[in-house]
Amino acid sequence: MTIRLADIGVRLDTGGLGGGAAALLNEVAGLLERLARTGKPGLIDLRNMPLDEFDRERLHAALGEGEIEATLRTDGISRFRETGTPGVWWIEHRDVRDGLIAELLEIAPNPDILSSPAEELERGALALRARLDARIVSPKEAP
Amino acid sequence: MSNATIGELLVRNGVSRRTFLKYCTAMTSLMALPPSMGAAMAEALRAAKRPSVIYLSFQECTGCLESFTRSFSPSVESLLFNVISLDYQDTLMAAAGHQAEEARAQAMKDNDGEYLLVIDGAIPTSDGGVYGAAGGRSYLDLLQEAGKGAAAIICVGTCSSFGGIPMAEPNPTGARPVSDIITGKPIVNISGCPPVPEVITGTLFQYVSMGKLPELDALGRPKVFFGNTIHDRCYRRPFYDEGKFAKTFDDEGARNGWCLYELGCKGPTTYNACATVKWNNATSFPIESGHGCIGCSEPNFWDKGSFYAPLSQGAFGKAGNVSPRDAAKLVGAAVAVGGAVGLGAAAVSRSRQQKLAAAAPDKMKGG
Repeated sequence: MTIRLADIGVRLDTGGLGGGAAALLNEVAGLLERLARTGKPGLIDLRNMPLDEFDRERLHAALGEGEIEATLRTDGISRFRETGTPGVWWIEHRDVRDGLIAELLEIAPNPDILSSPAEELERGALALRARLDARIVSPKEAP
Repeated sequence: MSNATIGELLVRNGVSRRTFLKYCTAMTSLMALPPSMGAAMAEALRAAKRPSVIYLSFQECTGCLESFTRSFSPSVESLLFNVISLDYQDTLMAAAGHQAEEARAQAMKDNDGEYLLVIDGAIPTSDGGVYGAAGGRSYLDLLQEAGKGAAAIICVGTCSSFGGIPMAEPNPTGARPVSDIITGKPIVNISGCPPVPEVITGTLFQYVSMGKLPELDALGRPKVFFGNTIHDRCYRRPFYDEGKFAKTFDDEGARNGWCLYELGCKGPTTYNACATVKWNNATSFPIESGHGCIGCSEPNFWDKGSFYAPLSQGAFGKAGNVSPRDAAKLVGAAVAVGGAVGLGAAAVSRSRQQKLAAAAPDKMKGG
């Protein structure tokens, strides 16, 4: 039987600690205002912030739940959730063992990594044209 | 060095832009770089070529290599297949004996002046270096030869960085760190016993992606990973500030996750990334498992006295069981590296220990 760290009976006395959420939310507000004014996106690396669980709860509560959730499956799962604050995306990148390798707030119309890159658009167009030219059009034959 | 760029290799290996961008995003997070650098780093890497890496092991226990192979993010396989060309590592490579030595000689010849030399283990120097040899040649000789053509030397582990356990008193083999033997070459010390795996791979990654060695502290360690003490970034730090301490390993304070300072934690004087990068795929680090930091990434950690004696009983208070020579070195190193933060931590440590000693002299004897 595998015991997870969280199952070990050590409780953490966190009463009265934390306080990083308010500072972080001010930074988010500033970046969001800049995005609206100039279109320049922003990123905040949550993994390197000394946030405790109460800070995280406060962050989640203040930003709210949004409508969009996207998943990227490459070398593990990455999840992109728009918060209830439009333009603020909560992003988790996980490795193939489901370990958290990066956690970010991206302040942008949409997360940059989700956009199809220009060089791959061209490669995709060429591949599709080649299939059409070879009359390989049925779903079964397509890659 | 392969002529193909990393970008060309990625396309050849079917690695998509998104996969690589995710990888670089994780790396910038690991190195606490501005997150916007992930995309810039990905572009720089795609245009770079994989450097040749020659990894030599000397007076060591292979714990550093074990650690290196357990790097999760970046994974060691992604580093080996996509970012560097590991041309010699006698434990990992398929070749052995004369074939392995020929591969090393060929890599050194082909990449003269450009290869990265990675060293783990101290180097025995007494009696002409007879206490350590491979392929019929002393470690000392092998290091001196390989060091000549290296662009830079990366010391992996406390043994190659500072001498480590082989150099502990009475040091019968005359073990020395690389920096005592090689001069005139850039040397990066990734100390730790063993070092955090992601700190090893992250430093190599940073060298390839940025084309230069990282900024170093006074002991030659990358500031990005060794810029803070364990104490500075410890999740138990607020308890220290509140004066809440575990007194034994099974008391109410220990169960509540309070500060382990009084149980000998060396976090206030130890610079490393354990508290932020953590171990075993970021599962935890020693303090999270209920044991104090033993200060393994600092010089002479093995000779500083009991791991269970509070700090001021060692290097920063009474000399105790630290030799006068080492005590002087340690204080000098702490001043150089720690600056205001280190001095502040040491001063607080001293003050706290004086109070503790006055309150409970018997408990100060350590374990």
